[in-house]
Amino acid sequence: MSSAPKTTQRTPFKRWCDENTGLFFLIPWILGFLIFKAYPFASSLVYSFTDLNFFKGISQYGVMNYVEIFTSRKTVSVLLTTVKYAFITVPLKLVFALFIAYILNFKIKFVNLFRTVYYIPSILGGSVAIAVLWRALFKDTGVVNTILGFFGIAGPDWLADKTWALFVICLLRVWQFGSAMVLFLAALKGVPADLYEAATIDGATKTRQFFSITIPMITPVIFYNLVTQIAQAFQEFNGPYIITQGGPRNATTLVSLLVYNYAFKSNEMGMACALAWVMFIAVALLTVIAFTSQKHWVYYAD
Amino acid sequence: MKKAISLGVAAAMTATLLAGCGTAASSSAATSEAASTAESTAAESTAEAAPSEAHEINTTDPIELTISWWGGDSRHEAYQKALEAFHEKYPNITVSPTYGAWSGWEEKQSTALAADQGSDVMQVNWNWLYQYSPTGEKFVDLREYSDVIDLSQWSDAAKNACTVADSLQAVPISMTGRIFYWNMNTFKQAGIEQVPASYDDLIAAGKAFQEKLGDDYYPLAIGQYDRMILMTFYLESKYGKAWVENNECQYSEEEVVDGLNFIKSLEDNHVIPTRPTMIAAGFDSIDKSQEWIDGKYAGIFEWDSSANKYQSALADNSGFTVGEEIKFGDKANGGFSKVSMGMAITSSCQHPVEAAALIDFLWNGEGAAIMGSECGIPASTAGLAAAQAADAVKPLVLEANTKVLAFVDMPLDPYFESSKLKDTTDGVYTDVFDGFSYGDYDAEEAAEILLDGVSGVLSANA
Repeated sequence: MSSAPKTTQRTPFKRWCDENTGLFFLIPWILGFLIFKAYPFASSLVYSFTDLNFFKGISQYGVMNYVEIFTSRKTVSVLLTTVKYAFITVPLKLVFALFIAYILNFKIKFVNLFRTVYYIPSILGGSVAIAVLWRALFKDTGVVNTILGFFGIAGPDWLADKTWALFVICLLRVWQFGSAMVLFLAALKGVPADLYEAATIDGATKTRQFFSITIPMITPVIFYNLVTQIAQAFQEFNGPYIITQGGPRNATTLVSLLVYNYAFKSNEMGMACALAWVMFIAVALLTVIAFTSQKHWVYYAD
Repeated sequence: MKKAISLGVAAAMTATLLAGCGTAASSSAATSEAASTAESTAAESTAEAAPSEAHEINTTDPIELTISWWGGDSRHEAYQKALEAFHEKYPNITVSPTYGAWSGWEEKQSTALAADQGSDVMQVNWNWLYQYSPTGEKFVDLREYSDVIDLSQWSDAAKNACTVADSLQAVPISMTGRIFYWNMNTFKQAGIEQVPASYDDLIAAGKAFQEKLGDDYYPLAIGQYDRMILMTFYLESKYGKAWVENNECQYSEEEVVDGLNFIKSLEDNHVIPTRPTMIAAGFDSIDKSQEWIDGKYAGIFEWDSSANKYQSALADNSGFTVGEEIKFGDKANGGFSKVSMGMAITSSCQHPVEAAALIDFLWNGEGAAIMGSECGIPASTAGLAAAQAADAVKPLVLEANTKVLAFVDMPLDPYFESSKLKDTTDGVYTDVFDGFSYGDYDAEEAAEILLDGVSGVLSANA
């Protein structure tokens, strides 16, 4: 005689626990996200409608910060400078990173050494050493003007000229093209060789192959780099902070630096939050535009 | 659907990247709200209130204190030696220091203060007391610890300056003011043997430098804030009234235009380089500039406590000379001295008695002999005596300080140094003097912006 198999009766709670085991593993991340990301993010929106000051608290609620942002000569000028900065650096950086990645994709000697060397600027970030280097390059008697002088060209006052100073800051960002380059390099390696073989047999030139095979095949990575570079460009802080401190005459003051100045120098946290939100909305809008446009130019092989 | 998810991820990504901007706001909210209804109260009284209870320094239990200061390398070394000596005296008390250069220091400290996370003992700039603790809530009233700190070593005037909201929030470390320093080696190359003692001497020096040494040589180099201070010296001397009194700027737009034209005349006559010229040279501060090191900039208008920093930066410092204060008008000498910095105990300090003992040690006791004149000439009588006995007072600093204090005759409003005005990147003084030098503003526009900025700060703190 065989006894009936023993079945364990699961309580509803235990069953719920079993079904949601994954949730328990996610709890640390969820808590971290809620406390350190979601709450500050939401509270910054609330504060953006106040005149919160570190030491004086809140005395006024309303949209005055946003009105100030879009009516003050200073903030409008900073917003325009930031847009200009993004529109100069993002395309330049992408083109430069792709160009270097394309070269490094060839079978040349010491290619790994070159890859490392080109990546180094990206990990240097914004530091005192970079500030010293950049100033040594671009001060009136610096390396750049000395070289230009060698060819009989009188270089401008890079750091004091309101137009050229922004260019100096842009150049720093473009110089740090390593991360974009690595992604491009990986994408280039992923382009099937048989496409090039077929094109070669058909008589396509290298240039034609580049624009008709390489570029279309790596558009997903171009798209990814574009979106991330736009977000980063709008948040650029290190360059102007360490090299020009936003000068001369606010010519290199970008939104992030202005947010910092409002928040930590004049303690106007409400205004700083409002500016951060304007920046966020601008980046989000550009991201939406980029995503909307991708159906026209991004090629997904799958 | 796939695209919607992608879009969502991208939005979350940008949100995450930007979320940091809100963090500080949230952490500061509680403390800021508490301060919102308070008003700044000017120093009124420093009558030595007896402590409400007797204090005894704990010499047995392990105690940990923190201290913060800004400065240069020599100051850092002096503080560290003094802290070692303090630890020898009180082996149970361990003091952990935080220190750094001035650049960016105020932002870090003000944020820490807002979050009640400041060091137990804090070297503070004078205006911080008014700007960050107008109700006295950020720093303890040191009179409560007068049985630990010998407050009688400071003059009433010095203590008055640090008494805000009827609370002695710091003891002054030193008094300071601005004075000219000259590199006489360059002056001699230009054929000038005597230090400039008048406006006419400055103009003559400018011409001599340009003619004999070239366009790159200037008798004096001053930044944006220096220009504001020099203009104040000029105006106060010419018009015989303080820049700000009774929370109001005492100068009309016409008078400020006169002051701005005075600065412009220094530029026009090659006495000082224009701001674009200085910015193009790409230096952080004048003492770190090649122009100063090589003697192309042959003069500065600086705090008396900065003498050694500028002297030691010179490639050949044999000609470094403390100049004379220049009287620009006939109504008054003009100019001001101020508390250069103070030492405070933050309200969040868990061991205020021992923190008070540390302050007393550093500025009245054995520590003062080690600190010497690293933070300027000690304002404490006992501290100065100890420093002099240890031969730790630098003669150059003493000479400059003596000349400044003997000359200046105008009071200084604490909000003169408000970060909103003084900040070298975003402050009103920078906007006015850079804009004026760049030609973005004429004198009338610059004067209007300056007066608006000053009155804005004064009314916000009224």
